[in-house]
Amino acid sequence: MRSLTYAWIVAALAVVVVGCSPSDKGGSDSKKETAAAKSPAAPTGEKPTGELEVPAFKGGYDIDFYARAAGEFEQKNPGLKINVWGNPRVWEQLKPRMLSDDQPGLMFPGWDMDHWRLAYEGGLMTLDSALDSPAYNSTKKWRDTFDPKLLALGKLDGVQYVLPFYFNIEGWWYNPDQFKANGWTPPKTYDELLDLCEKIKAKGIAPITFQGKYPYYMIDGMLFPWAQSIGGIEAINDAQNLTPGAWKSPAILQAATMICELRDKGDFQNGAVGMSHTESQTQFVQGKAAMIPCGTWLKSEMSKEMPANTRIQFLVPPAVKGGKGDPTALIIGIEPWMVPSKGKNANAGIAFYKYMTSVEKAKEFVIQKGTLTAIIGSDDGVKLPDTLVEPARAFKATKTAYSTPFKDWYKDFEKEVENALTSMLNKQLTPQQFCDRCEEEAEKTRNKSSIPKHKVSQ
Amino acid sequence: MTRKGRGLFVFSFLAPAVTIYALFVVWPLIQAFGFSGFEWSGLSDKKSFVGAQNYRDLVHDDVFWRALRNNVTLLVGAGVVILILSLLIASAMQGQGKWLRVLRGVYLLPQSISLVVVAILWMFIFNPQFGLVNSALNALHLSKLTHTWLGDPNTALPSVAVAFVWYGAGFYIMLFSAAMRSMPAEVSEAAELDGARGLRRFFKVTWPMLWSVKRVAIVHLTIAVMNVFALVLLMTQGGPDRATESLLTYLYQKMQNSEMGYATTIAVANFAVVMIISLVILLIFRKDPQEARR
Repeated sequence: MRSLTYAWIVAALAVVVVGCSPSDKGGSDSKKETAAAKSPAAPTGEKPTGELEVPAFKGGYDIDFYARAAGEFEQKNPGLKINVWGNPRVWEQLKPRMLSDDQPGLMFPGWDMDHWRLAYEGGLMTLDSALDSPAYNSTKKWRDTFDPKLLALGKLDGVQYVLPFYFNIEGWWYNPDQFKANGWTPPKTYDELLDLCEKIKAKGIAPITFQGKYPYYMIDGMLFPWAQSIGGIEAINDAQNLTPGAWKSPAILQAATMICELRDKGDFQNGAVGMSHTESQTQFVQGKAAMIPCGTWLKSEMSKEMPANTRIQFLVPPAVKGGKGDPTALIIGIEPWMVPSKGKNANAGIAFYKYMTSVEKAKEFVIQKGTLTAIIGSDDGVKLPDTLVEPARAFKATKTAYSTPFKDWYKDFEKEVENALTSMLNKQLTPQQFCDRCEEEAEKTRNKSSIPKHKVSQ
Repeated sequence: MTRKGRGLFVFSFLAPAVTIYALFVVWPLIQAFGFSGFEWSGLSDKKSFVGAQNYRDLVHDDVFWRALRNNVTLLVGAGVVILILSLLIASAMQGQGKWLRVLRGVYLLPQSISLVVVAILWMFIFNPQFGLVNSALNALHLSKLTHTWLGDPNTALPSVAVAFVWYGAGFYIMLFSAAMRSMPAEVSEAAELDGARGLRRFFKVTWPMLWSVKRVAIVHLTIAVMNVFALVLLMTQGGPDRATESLLTYLYQKMQNSEMGYATTIAVANFAVVMIISLVILLIFRKDPQEARR
């Protein structure tokens, strides 16, 4: 059977391309055209009727909420039939359909759909005109019902292609009971962190663990937060925009040096560099490591492994004293919904999404699923789960909410940054060598004309 | 049955398998050759014909060569260990005892487990905090030898190779066992009467008579190692820093990165490498000495 593995891989490749005409009807060089010019604008969602298909990623929050909302919306709109379906790898079924005319009117394809590339190639409708139309049962513009910081994360080169619903905040986590029992205080600055690590080690506990097999957790958890804290958001923007020299900037170099300092002081859990996310997170929830960088999904992801009555608390990554950056800055990740450019009944898709993002429905989502949404007022008066209170406060307090889209735009480059980070953690690269290698890879990406380039402005 | 009737009879049995094979293996393979000439994300019908550019890029792609080297290292390391181990175990397990039958089942057990479970099992075994390997070393007062097995570029590939040997050996033990048991009893008896025992009997009698099975086993093993994918992806993601990257994990990465044209180029290159190695093996083992003697 194993001898057929190769054949099946090739077959799988072919299945993906079956929907593509062998005549290469789009043979023009897409690099010379702008996606915005070729992408149709989504309708505004008036008087929805007919059939609508809504495939959705079935993750920790399931798809039951969307299905129930669809049922309610059908009741309100006789003549409308909505089919909500999904699974944990729904993008695998949706990718081949992006090559055909059989596309859903609204979709939430999940994390492995390369939605920015899809948008760039004209595969998604632009949503700006829909956002300027009225929100559901309101005279307000739909656009004004979203948190502007989060809505902005759905733009590519100034054009809105995807819309947020729920979102995640990146940060650090600790166990408040463990901290209280030992008299430890969550560190606000890097210096406080260094002092705290000594106290934690004295108790025989590893101060910090991390998801070494997936080094992007360390990019979002340490490298970027500290580079931002040192050099300001410009240091991050320049790095993501592949500005020449940005990956060798003093901010990135110092952030890398700080990671190495923690490594050399023995502040990272032994062996963390070889651990998967579940392995390291299990170490954390079992109290064998005191802190871990992770997003707000941590509790739902680790609910089965978490011992009863264990509490975990969010912590904004410790800032660097005297740095140029915003000490309250946070990395945000939105979970994007979108309308394919050939989506069937996109009008109903927009109408349904307007309903789902009405403050009443969004509030229901916050209550039922215990997570935050991008809709203004959706958590007003709602008793949030303990783990979300601090992230919600931190999000409201921050002036600098940014995302890291370079990871999706330049996937090869990001992989090399991850690899260099791993090698640095394995003491095979010095911080300077880490920066040099990242800069060299950034230059390769800059010079490769086949990779579409984008800019962040946050 | 007439000749024509017999032909129809044979065709009716072959047709479904040949059709499915042609549709899902041969045709996609031909398409893969075509797609490798394009720069294409796989997300839209926008394709740019780039001729042999993907192949030129591949030749200058350090990661491709690193992955190929890892595959070959696995083939030479794990492959040879599997062959030697399975030959030794199969040879030692000749006979009809009850326990030998149980043992044969035990050795085949890993093959009946999902590869995903195998990978998770070995991730636990190599876990730096509570894994069996480090725990055993600690218990033996050899704490200095404990290690981050899957996180260190020097030990990651050998660790994956150990898991691969554990998973793969059972099949070859079965294959060689079956071949050894099918040897004519009179040959063994004659060898024994002539005083051939132990290693001498193995090298002079058993080994030459396994000729065709060895050929099948080596080709099969080569294909299995060159196409190693799930085990690596689950255990190490190809890391740390490409230390365990294989051709197919690299191909998968390119597919995920919306570089479908380049991914198919890697697929074609992998196909060529597997074909070349297999043909060389078939050439080396082309003549059965038993048949040649007749």
